[in-house]
Amino acid sequence: MALIEVTHLNKAYGKVKALQDVSFDVHESEVFGVVGPDGAGKSTLFNILTTLLLPDSGNATVLHHDVRTDYLEIRKHIGYLPGTFSLYPDLSVEENLVFFATMYQSDIEKNMPLILPIWQQLLPFKKRPAGKLSGGMKQKLALCCALIHKPTLLFLDEPTTGVDPVSRKEFWEILRSIKQQGITVVVSTPYMDEATLCDRIALLQNGQFIKMDTPQAIISDFRGTLVSLRTPDIFRLHKLLSNAPFRCTYYPYGEHMHIILEQPLEELLPQLKQFLDQHQIQFSHIQQITPSVEDCFIEIVKNSHAQNH
Amino acid sequence: MKELRQILKKEFTHIFRDKITLFLVLAIPIMLVLLFGFTISTDIRHANISVMDLSADSQSKALIEKITASGYFEVVSYPKTESDINHDFKDKNIKLAIIIPQNFEEQLTNERFVTIQIISDVSDMNVASVLNNYVKAILYSFTEEYNGNSSSAIELCTEMRYNPEANSVYMFVPGIITLIMIIVTALMSSITLSREVETGTMRMLLIAPVKKVYVIIGKVIPYMILSFISTILILVISVLVFHMPINGSVWLLLFVCIIFMLTAASCGMAISALVKTQLDAMMITMMGLFLPTALLSGFLFPIDNMPYFFQLLANIFPGKWFIIAIKDVMLKGSSFIDIWEYVLILFGMASALMFISLTRLDRRR
Repeated sequence: MALIEVTHLNKAYGKVKALQDVSFDVHESEVFGVVGPDGAGKSTLFNILTTLLLPDSGNATVLHHDVRTDYLEIRKHIGYLPGTFSLYPDLSVEENLVFFATMYQSDIEKNMPLILPIWQQLLPFKKRPAGKLSGGMKQKLALCCALIHKPTLLFLDEPTTGVDPVSRKEFWEILRSIKQQGITVVVSTPYMDEATLCDRIALLQNGQFIKMDTPQAIISDFRGTLVSLRTPDIFRLHKLLSNAPFRCTYYPYGEHMHIILEQPLEELLPQLKQFLDQHQIQFSHIQQITPSVEDCFIEIVKNSHAQNH
Repeated sequence: MKELRQILKKEFTHIFRDKITLFLVLAIPIMLVLLFGFTISTDIRHANISVMDLSADSQSKALIEKITASGYFEVVSYPKTESDINHDFKDKNIKLAIIIPQNFEEQLTNERFVTIQIISDVSDMNVASVLNNYVKAILYSFTEEYNGNSSSAIELCTEMRYNPEANSVYMFVPGIITLIMIIVTALMSSITLSREVETGTMRMLLIAPVKKVYVIIGKVIPYMILSFISTILILVISVLVFHMPINGSVWLLLFVCIIFMLTAASCGMAISALVKTQLDAMMITMMGLFLPTALLSGFLFPIDNMPYFFQLLANIFPGKWFIIAIKDVMLKGSSFIDIWEYVLILFGMASALMFISLTRLDRRR
């Protein structure tokens, strides 16, 4: 039985359509990721599901309650970690936890085992004002506050934005352990590399779900050949590829250029090398690679653009 | 209740950790009272005046003596003609000239009204009006004494009953209490509520199953307590330093103050329910509540002298009703029966505003 059921959800702010015809289900005990760039509509979706915002049209039920009418019932059983730091910066770590535990009518002692692994990391700083914690520690404290009433469903809106890579990794390990405690997690992130850590992901672009599946299925759905090559002339190459003698999609990917070809690499490799030599582009490490979720996202976005035009 | 206690505890922690705000909230009232009491005081002593006595009889001499004896005036010359008076204004820096008509004593005994002419220097309007009031008060008491013998009267337009010495501190104290309550209760509670909206903690509180009434009450009560302390500070200073009388019941006075505090707190809550940021809350409270209250409540400028539109406008600001009520209690010694309408108006405003803010808070957009 699905814990969240969303059908044809729409929300607009004036002329800006933040969500367009979004439909999806979240099942029990899964980590469901909403992946998309800034401004895609992630926070709007979370605000509707956490009953802080009313949708314009469409239906959404959370824990079998309608977000429009039964919002008080929903609020009792969900935990929410908002996209911006939403604790009291002048209260200490401990004071924040005690305050929110009381607000959620929860017993700290009873639910301590649930947050203990995270709380232990915070213990050395328990007298420190929350505003003076590092980004990662802030998020861990916020997570403790969101978990202290043992919610059935946990909403995390971009929990790792502005957090260093080590803490991000740690944070995701914590999420896996939360899932093992039987709590269903809905998490949004702009980081594509984090998407693979979810059980299922939905790719959100301009308020629309452009793809929803397990990360593995999304990657195996990738059509075309993904070629990666390393070059110091990345900007020049980017310009030149628009005049390439073969159809391709290309984008810089760190220090590499990723090129999606419509034919196998063996057929096009000579042509590609000749093209690069002709324009005196130095390159190395040219090879076919397995796509990441980010590559899939870019491919899907480009394809949907191509269909629209 | 456990939640309410926790919210109160949290709010007090915020207040005590923010030492500057705490200091300002407690120091500003004291500073304002002393400032208004000592510097903006419009009491005038030993003002230079001229008296043109055209009758020079025993009663006119008695009147001049009474004017001099009051201590407010120093008669610097006795001009004979009106052009002499003009010279006195220019050369002797007189603020006022009194012209006693011919046959003063005779008129006083035989006629119903005697007219005394006063020429005042209105380049400083406040000084002029205060001095005029002094003269009127002296003339009034002069006729009262004289009326023992006869039924005639010196023509007087104004009665001065409750503040016969026109002691300005008495006028300022109710105004200062009003403004302080607006700053501490309305401004601080609107800022603290919109701070929660701005930092996002309000979202956390909204999705928590805690009663929203607790959230509001818990946030407002601490500032009401602070404001109550300020009010008591102001009253103590007014009584001890400026000898302000409290003719009515002190408990009634404090009760009216608490009702006004509720009204001010409700204004603050309603404002914060309408805006999204602390800055907006501050601007709207200052421009939309504090300034109009200072200007229209009758504290700086008498409401009766305002254009009709502004007289009507003054009614919607709770400060006007509060000032009337506490002036009545402090100066006239009014009891609850005399001022219940004002208390009811204040309470009605508080309930309406509180209702608006509670419904706005839980409404989702």
